[in-house]
Amino acid sequence: MSARLARQKGEWVNRASTIKFSFEGKEFSGFEGDSITSALWASGEQVLGRSFKYHRPRGILSLANHDINVMVTDGMDTNIRGDVVPVAAGMALAAVNTDGGVKKDRSRLIDSISPLLPVGFYYKAFHTPKKMFPFWENIIRKAAGLGVVNFNYPRILKRKLHAHCDVLVIGGGATGLSAAYEAGKSGLRVVLVDENAQLGGSLGFDWGGSQESANLLQELLAKLESLPNVSLIAGAYAAGYYPDHLIPVVTREGITKVRAGSVIMASGAFEQPPVFRNNDIPGVMLGSAAQRLLHRYSVKPFSNGVVFTANDYGYRVAQDLLEAGIKLAAVVDLRSDAKDGPLAAQLARRGVKTIAGSCIYEVQANADKTGVKSVTVTEYDEKTNEALTRDKVTLECDGVAMCAGWAPAANLLYQAGTAMRYDYGVHQFVPNRLPAGIFAAGRVNGVYELAQKVQDGARAAAQALLHIGLDVPELPSVQPSTRAQSHAYPIVPHPKGKNFVDFDEDIQVKDFINAAKEGFDNIELMKRFTTVGMGPSQGKHSNMNAIRILARVRGVPVEQIGTTTSRPFFHPTPIGHLGGRGFHPHRLTPLHDVNHKLGAVFTDVGAWKRAAYYKVAGLGVADTVLAEVEAVRTKAGIIDSSSFGKIEVHGPDAALFLERFFTGNYISQAVGSSRYTMLLDESGVVVDDGLAHRLAEDLFYLSSGTSNAAAVYREMQRWQQIWQLDIGLVNVTGAYAAINVAGPLARQVLSGLVNISLDDSALPAQSIRETEIAGVPVRLIRVAFVSDSTYELHIPTPQAAFVWERVMGAGQALGLKPFGTDAQRLLRLEMGHAMPGIDTDGLTNPYEINAQHAIGMDKPDFIGKRSLQIIAKRPVKKTLVAFALEAGYAGEMPFECNLVIRQGEIEGRVTSIAYSGTIGRVIGFAYVAPEHSALGSRFQIRADSGALVNATVVSSQFLAMQK
Amino acid sequence: MPLRLLKYALSKNYPGTRFFKAHETPKKSYDVVIIGGGGHGLAAAYYLAKEHGITNVAVLEKGYIGGGNTGRNTTIVRSNYLTPEGVKFYDASVKIYEDLSEELDLNLFYSTRGHFTLAHTESAMRTMRWRAEVNKHVGVESYVVGPEEISKACPQLDMSCSGQAPILGALYHAPGSVARHDGVAWGYARGADRLGVEIFQNTEVLGIDVQGGKVAGVKTSKGYIATTKVLSAVAGFTPRICEMVGMDTPIVIHPLQACVTEPMKPWLDTILVSGSLHVYVSQSSRGELVMGSSLDPYEVHSTRSTLDFVEGLTSHMLDMFPFLSNIKVVRQWAGMADMTPDFAPIMGKTPIEGFYLDAGWGTWGFKATPISGKTMAETIARDHAPDLIHSFRLSRFEDYELTGEKGAASVGH
Amino acid sequence: MKLLTCPVNGTRPLSEFVFGGEYRVPPAADCSDKVWADYVHNRHGAPGIKQEWWYHAPSGTWFIAERNTLTDQVIRTFLKGQEGKQ
Repeated sequence: MSARLARQKGEWVNRASTIKFSFEGKEFSGFEGDSITSALWASGEQVLGRSFKYHRPRGILSLANHDINVMVTDGMDTNIRGDVVPVAAGMALAAVNTDGGVKKDRSRLIDSISPLLPVGFYYKAFHTPKKMFPFWENIIRKAAGLGVVNFNYPRILKRKLHAHCDVLVIGGGATGLSAAYEAGKSGLRVVLVDENAQLGGSLGFDWGGSQESANLLQELLAKLESLPNVSLIAGAYAAGYYPDHLIPVVTREGITKVRAGSVIMASGAFEQPPVFRNNDIPGVMLGSAAQRLLHRYSVKPFSNGVVFTANDYGYRVAQDLLEAGIKLAAVVDLRSDAKDGPLAAQLARRGVKTIAGSCIYEVQANADKTGVKSVTVTEYDEKTNEALTRDKVTLECDGVAMCAGWAPAANLLYQAGTAMRYDYGVHQFVPNRLPAGIFAAGRVNGVYELAQKVQDGARAAAQALLHIGLDVPELPSVQPSTRAQSHAYPIVPHPKGKNFVDFDEDIQVKDFINAAKEGFDNIELMKRFTTVGMGPSQGKHSNMNAIRILARVRGVPVEQIGTTTSRPFFHPTPIGHLGGRGFHPHRLTPLHDVNHKLGAVFTDVGAWKRAAYYKVAGLGVADTVLAEVEAVRTKAGIIDSSSFGKIEVHGPDAALFLERFFTGNYISQAVGSSRYTMLLDESGVVVDDGLAHRLAEDLFYLSSGTSNAAAVYREMQRWQQIWQLDIGLVNVTGAYAAINVAGPLARQVLSGLVNISLDDSALPAQSIRETEIAGVPVRLIRVAFVSDSTYELHIPTPQAAFVWERVMGAGQALGLKPFGTDAQRLLRLEMGHAMPGIDTDGLTNPYEINAQHAIGMDKPDFIGKRSLQIIAKRPVKKTLVAFALEAGYAGEMPFECNLVIRQGEIEGRVTSIAYSGTIGRVIGFAYVAPEHSALGSRFQIRADSGALVNATVVSSQFLAMQK
Repeated sequence: MPLRLLKYALSKNYPGTRFFKAHETPKKSYDVVIIGGGGHGLAAAYYLAKEHGITNVAVLEKGYIGGGNTGRNTTIVRSNYLTPEGVKFYDASVKIYEDLSEELDLNLFYSTRGHFTLAHTESAMRTMRWRAEVNKHVGVESYVVGPEEISKACPQLDMSCSGQAPILGALYHAPGSVARHDGVAWGYARGADRLGVEIFQNTEVLGIDVQGGKVAGVKTSKGYIATTKVLSAVAGFTPRICEMVGMDTPIVIHPLQACVTEPMKPWLDTILVSGSLHVYVSQSSRGELVMGSSLDPYEVHSTRSTLDFVEGLTSHMLDMFPFLSNIKVVRQWAGMADMTPDFAPIMGKTPIEGFYLDAGWGTWGFKATPISGKTMAETIARDHAPDLIHSFRLSRFEDYELTGEKGAASVGH
Repeated sequence: MKLLTCPVNGTRPLSEFVFGGEYRVPPAADCSDKVWADYVHNRHGAPGIKQEWWYHAPSGTWFIAERNTLTDQVIRTFLKGQEGKQ
C-alpha cells in the first residue's frame, strides 16, 4: 500500500526517476531524492530497525539524522543512517543488530525480560564468581555493538580543502538565509552551510497549513542569488568548532576546513519528544518528522493519527497533516489552558477536537507490533506531573505526531565556550555570553516567530560585520520568544514504564529516577550511569528531557542542573574523512637514486631514507653486511652520509658560541682541525655529539648524527637569541651531500682525485681542508668514526652524484665497495665509539659514559655545566663499559637490551652488541655497576632464553684485540 | 541471567540505595582531607579507612566524582614498564585490579585482553626488548613477539601499515586489560562511604592553611576545615593546589585527547598500541573503538579538543585498519595530563609537613589507581612512604635521581 | 587549528610552530645547588599568563609569545630583546 501523496510543490523527490532496491530481502522502489527511510515508509514498511538494548521495533523518530534505530547495512558499508542517506538503485539493505532479521529478530525476547536489566545492570552482576565473568562478558560484548564491520571495505582517500571567509553562517533556514543575505550585502566573502540536501531548514517543511514559509524561502533564495560573493552549500554539516574560528565542514566528498572571520550559528533546534509509554512504536514520530515526510518526500506519516502536543507547534503540524488529507482523531494537548485558544478553535473549524490538559498515557501496538493500533488518553495534572487515570479514553489511530518542544542545536556554541542560561519565557537554554566573533540567531537563540527569525539573522549579520571591522549600523536585538515553545515537563509517568527518553540507548523515565536513587543525581554522573546521550545521536533528542527529569527528582530549577559538555562531532564523522589522505613525509639524500641503482635496501633514520645495506645476489643480509665491513677493513668502502647534520657558525664570536654550547674547548682550536663536540641539556644529560671543524678563525663547520640534527640546530638558534653573540648560523644539511671513503686503501682511492696531499703529516686525523674534485669544491675531512683511515667529502648537493661516480670510478680497481648503515654500526662499534641514543638513554650523564675528557669544566660556562657540578658530587650509579665475550663463544647470542645480572639482580644492560668478523669475537657496550667497570672485570648477560653469558670488560680499543 | 538481578525484577520498590551519601556541609575538622574525588583520591580514602582504620576523612571534589582524568582516560591497565621500580609498582596495581570487582562488589568489567605495543623500527624493537627483559625479571608476563603472532591475535591489522610503517614485532603483555573507568571511582567511593568517609561533591578548595611549615587546614567553598593532613590527588589541577602552599614541582600540564567511534559488533579483541603511529586502540564492551594518541605539544590548562589530533589519529588508524574508512567517530574529548620530565609519578611526602602529593600521573594514572590509593593511604597513616614508591618521591629531582620511564610511557598507555 | 603570529612571518597555523617551553632566566651560576636544581627541574605550573618560547620552523625564527595558559589565548608575540619595540 503506497503512502505516497500526489506531487506537490517543493518536494525533494524526482518522480521521473524510480529507484529499485531491497530491504531485508524484499524488493522496494522509491524515487531519486528519497532517503532510505522515506522510500520504505512510502511503501508501507514501518519496522525499519530494532532498538539497541531491548530490540524493540522502531520506525521514524526525527528524520533529522538522529534516527539511530534505523541503521542499515548494504553488505559493504554499515551503520548507514536510513533517515538521511539517499536511497540508491540496487541497494540490498538489511537492518543492523538483529538476530534473524528485523521482523523476526530473536533478540526481541530481551524486551520481555527488561525488568531483569535495570539501569546500570552490568555494574551489578556478572562479576562474581570471578571465573564466570569472561563467559558473561562474551555474551554482553556480542549483544552490544551495532553493525558488523566489513574487513574488505576499501580505504577511501577523501580530499581535504581549506577555505577562508569573512562570515560563516551555519544553518540555511530562515535565520541563516537572512543572515547570509545581510552579511553578503557588504560584498565580503560569506559562506553558508546546511546539513540538509536542500536549503530552507524548517521553511521547507513547517508550513502550518499555509504557504507563508514556502514563499519566504523562494524570496530569500532569490535575493541571495543576486550576491555572487555568497556561497550557499547544502548537504554540508559543520562538524565542530575549534579555536580561532576553524570549522570543518563535512560533505560526502570530504572535509573543507573553513577559517572564518566571524561565525553566525543559525543552527536551529532539535525537536524533543514527549515521554509516554510506548512512544517508540513505529508510527509514533516527532511532529517535525511527520512534516518532513509530508513536504520533502510527499509521504503520509499515517492516515488516521493523533497529535500529542505540549506546545503550539503541534497545531502547525496538525494543520499540515490535515492539508495532506490525513485524518486526525484528536489533538491531545498537555496544557490545560490550550482548550480555549485560537489554535484549538482553528482546528475545531476543521472538525478536529482538542483534548486539553491531557496526555497520551500509552500507545497500544497492533497485533504484530509493527505499528500503532490505538492510544489511551487521560487527563494530566501539570502540577504533579501525573496522568490521572480514572477516566481513560481510547482513540483508534495508526500513528502519533508528538510535539513537546525544542532543544537548541547549540553544540558548536558550547564547544566555542558559550555560557548558556535557561530562559523561562521560551523555556529553553539560550546563549548568555558568546565568545568573541561568534553570534547566535534564530531558534538556537530562542527566537521562533518567522519574521523575528529573519530579523534576528540580519541582526547577527550586522554584529558579525562589526566584529571583523566593518562600519555598519547595529541592528536592534531580538528577544527570545516570550511564549513557551517547549513544555517545562512533558513527561508522563507510567507504572509499566517503556516511556522512552533516549531512543538510542532505550532509557526510560524510571532509569533516571533509579539512577538518582543510587546517588547519580549530578547530570554528568547520571549521563555516565544511565548512558543517556552517549549513543550515536549524542543526546540530541534526549539530553533536555534528562535534565528536566533530574531537576524534578532533585527539586531544583533546570538551570541548576546545567548541561553535559558538548564535544565534537556534531554528527558522527567518518574516519576516512577525518584521516583523509595520509602524509608520511620523508627525506631522500641527493644520492638516493645512485644508492637505488646500486641495490640499496633503505631504512628509516629519523625522517631520512638511508641505505641499510647493498643487496648482493645470492648472499644473505648478515653475510652481506659482514662483506661490507670486510671491504672497509681490508680495502675501502664508501657510504652516503648526506643525512648528517651540517651547520655553519660564522662570525667573530663563532668559537665563543661553541664554547658555550658544547662541553669542549674551541677557542684554542687550530684552523684546519676538527674537535669532538658534546651537547648536554641544562640538567646535564647527554643529548648529542659530533665534530666541529674550524675552516677559518671565524668559521666553524659542524657535523653531527642524523636523528638529532634538526633539534640541535633549533637549540643553537634559541641560545643565540639568548646570548646575542656576533655570529651567524646556517643549517647547510641540505646544501651539502656527504660521502665517507674509509679503509686502508681510501687514501689511494682519493689521492688521484684531489690536488692536495693526503699524507698523515699533511692531513692528520681530525683535520679539514677545502679542495676540489674535478672542479667541484669539496670539504675534505679526516675522521675516524668507522676506521682510522676515513675521508669525509662534503660536496655541494647538485654535484653529489657526479663526485660519487668519480670516486667510485677511482676505487673500482682497488675494490671500493659501498656500505650501508648496518655495516657502519658494526664498524663504529669495532672502533669503540659509543653513540648517544643507542648507548645512552634520556637520563645518561657524561660521567656514566666516561666522557670526562670531553668536558671543559674549567670553562666559564656551557650548557649543563652547573648541573654537572652537582652531579659530580654524587656517586656514579652505572658505567658504560666495552666488553667482549669469550673468544670462540658459540652459545646463545645475547641481544641489545638483554640485562646484566649479578646475584639475581639487575645490574645493567647491553646497549650494543655484535659479532665482529674483524676481531673474531662478540663485542659490545654495556652498563655495569661502577665497582665492576675495571678492565678485566667479569659480568653476566642474561640472554633471551634465560641463559647467563659470561662477558669481560675490555678496552674500547676493540681493534687492538685483532690478532 | 545471574540471580542477583532478580531482586530488581521482583521488587515493587526499586531496591537501589545511594552509592555515596549526599553530604552538604563539612564538619569543622577531619583527621585527613583528600583533595580530589577521582579514582586516586577515593581509593586513598577507601584504604585509609579499610586498612588503617582512619575514617574521619573528607574527600573534596570540585565537580563530580570521577569527572577528571578518571572518567576521561582510555581505561588501559598494564604493567609493562621500563624501570624495575615502575614494573613492580604497576604490577601490584594490576594484581589489585584483578580482584577489585569482587572486593568492591561492583562489576568493573575488568577485562584481560592482552596488550601489544607494536614496533615499526629497529630502535622501537630495542626498547621492546628492554622492557620485556625488565618485565620478565620482575615476573611480569611480557615478551617480544614477531609479526606472525601479532597477525594471529589481530588478523585484521595491516602488518605493513599501508606500506608506511611495516610492523617488525611487538611487546606482548598478557595482563594488559581494560576496565570501566567510572566504575572504579564509584566503587571506591561507595566502599569509602560505607566505611564512614565523607565525600563532598561541588566543593572547591580555595586555599591551604600552612602554619610554620605544617598543614593546619583547608579553605573550601563550603567553609574552613581544620586538619593536619592533606592529600592532593588532583592530576591536572596539581600545580594549582601546589601554588596554594607555595610549592613548585616539575609538573607541566598538557592536554591528552581521545575519541570514540560508533558501536560495532566486536572484532578487536586485543589492546593495540603503536608508538610510531601514535595510536592506541581497544574496543569497549559497548562496541566502540576507544582511541587515543600522543600528548598535545604544549601547555594548556583546558580540556578543549583540536582537529589536528583527530585528523592525525584517524589517518594512522587507517594505516593500521584501512577498512575503517566509513566508520564514524562520534565524540572526541580531552583530559589534562600532569606530565613529569621522567614520565614517572610524584608520590609521597613533601617539604610541607602534612601535605602529601599523589601527582605526576600524566597519561598513566588510571592503571595505578588501586596501588596509588593503597600506598598513599599508608604514607598518610604512617607519615612514611612505603618502599614501593620510593623512586617516585618528589625529592628525586633535587637529588638528580630521576626514574626514567619515558621509553615505556610515551603513547604506551 | 589554532593560529599564531610570528613577529617576522605573520599569522600562521600552529602546525608550523614548535613549543619551546616557558621563557625563564636561570639563576646566577654561583647559586646554591638547591636553587639550581629547582631551576632545572621545577616549573611554575599553575595556569596564568606566561612568556614562552615558540619557534617558527619553516623560517627558523624563535620568538616569545605571551600566552594565557588557561584560555590558550595569545596576548602578543615579539622577538627576544625587542619586547618594547613596535
